[in-house]
Amino acid sequence: MTWNLEELRREFPILQQQVHGKRLVFLDSAASAQKPRAVIEALTTVYTTAYANVHRGLYSLAEAATAHYEEAREKIAHFIGASDPGELIYVRNATEALNLVAYAWGRKHITAGDRIVITEMEHHSNLVPWMMLAQERGAELAYLPVTDAGELELTALPPLLADGRTRVVAFTLMSNVLGTIPPAQELTAMAHAAGALVVADGAQAVPHLPVNVQTLGVDFLAFSGHKLGGPGIGALWGRRRLLEAMPPFLFGGDMILSVKKHSATWNELPYKFEAGTPAIAEAVGFGVAVDFLSALGMEAVQQHEQMLVAYALERLPEVPGLHILGPTHPHRGGAVSFWLEGIHPHDIASVLDSEGICIRAGLHCAEPLHARFGLPASARASFFIYNGTDDVDALVTGLQGVVKLLRR
Amino acid sequence: MSDLYREQLLEHYHEPQNYGVLPEADVDVQLDNPTCGDTIHLTARLDPEGRIAKVMFEGHGCVISMAAASMLTEDVVGKTPQEVAALELHDVEEMMGGLRLSMGRVKCALLAVNALKKGLRESGRL
Repeated sequence: MTWNLEELRREFPILQQQVHGKRLVFLDSAASAQKPRAVIEALTTVYTTAYANVHRGLYSLAEAATAHYEEAREKIAHFIGASDPGELIYVRNATEALNLVAYAWGRKHITAGDRIVITEMEHHSNLVPWMMLAQERGAELAYLPVTDAGELELTALPPLLADGRTRVVAFTLMSNVLGTIPPAQELTAMAHAAGALVVADGAQAVPHLPVNVQTLGVDFLAFSGHKLGGPGIGALWGRRRLLEAMPPFLFGGDMILSVKKHSATWNELPYKFEAGTPAIAEAVGFGVAVDFLSALGMEAVQQHEQMLVAYALERLPEVPGLHILGPTHPHRGGAVSFWLEGIHPHDIASVLDSEGICIRAGLHCAEPLHARFGLPASARASFFIYNGTDDVDALVTGLQGVVKLLRR
Repeated sequence: MSDLYREQLLEHYHEPQNYGVLPEADVDVQLDNPTCGDTIHLTARLDPEGRIAKVMFEGHGCVISMAAASMLTEDVVGKTPQEVAALELHDVEEMMGGLRLSMGRVKCALLAVNALKKGLRESGRL
């Protein structure tokens, strides 16, 4: 055990409650993670001691709010290995970050005949923005296939890069359905060698394993604060020279340097991409969540979740007729999707709910991936720092109950 | 184990009533719920007064959608198309034994009745 689980759980007030008279077993952190007390208190502290609009007020309260907001940016940038906080843009979530790239970079650089490469395991947020861009520009959208084992078919990439038409390769650093961790460095090197940019969806990876943009070599990284224990906020990291060459995505206050009646000039990075009053307290909470994870250490977080995955992969097959999607080795992320013969995933989730167990059921915003595996839906249990083997045990017992109740 | 999955509901799920396709049907309709993959094919015949005489269904989906379909085929016999059109969520919940459905399961429970309404509209009965 990498840390004292009971002590850590006490830091998460929501986990202290009971659901239907049972201990809350929260196995849906891949959708959104629970918040440590430090994050919840940080929001209250901002609102009770240091709230004002940022970058505007000339009074000390506004200066304090701005300082907290910018300190958090530095911490978050450092957390993903970025040395320049100006490259870190606050957005609502990873979805908005990916849309920002597809709009601001994509609309400027993608033209008819270009190719955009994504993978079959993408979340809709790293799929539909590229689909729309391709349709609008008459570009081609190509998919890197997923193997039966849930890995990327890497041999399919070189042919897609050979003709020099591929402008961007966008892929997830960890599948939210399969838990697969694609070889990001290898993919990035191949894409760069062919002159294509790399957009990484870090929504699942950033909260669960060490992610360093310098080591990975990617050009953009989208991720969410709410999936790593922060409030409802996200971030986009991008290379300065790329961000500087991009037009703004949203126009309005704060992103502007000067406005005349018929012309305007843009503020410097990162403010050029932060139009309007931002989520100030949420940004501060994002920074606190990053501190919380950093104190545990991301290597330890990954180790803890791999231990849980290994245990889940060992125990889940005890449930009759259960099939796991994705890699069956533990060198994968803590999102474990599965299906039960003859039982609809919605029924699995509803029955488990009566036992206080929260899992996700459906398409997990990855419909093409489910179509690839011929499944109308699946069930997913996902782990985070507060989960333990007792949660896996509760899941297995719950699933055995599901089978007993619903299968004849 | 679960309040939702009562014996009556499970009976209808495991041994659905009126399962199959009705020959020479006045209403023949297909409806899917793409977000969860549930599908239903519903056929119905009306009596000379225009009331529902017989309904049959086939399809696949969760316990809630399939049990609701089975129960509906029994419940709507004798109703006019207008009476079917007026059926709302609480009627379906009553039909299912006074069940209280969570927001996420409402669409499942309404699949069959929505299919029947659609079929009645498409066949000009509504």
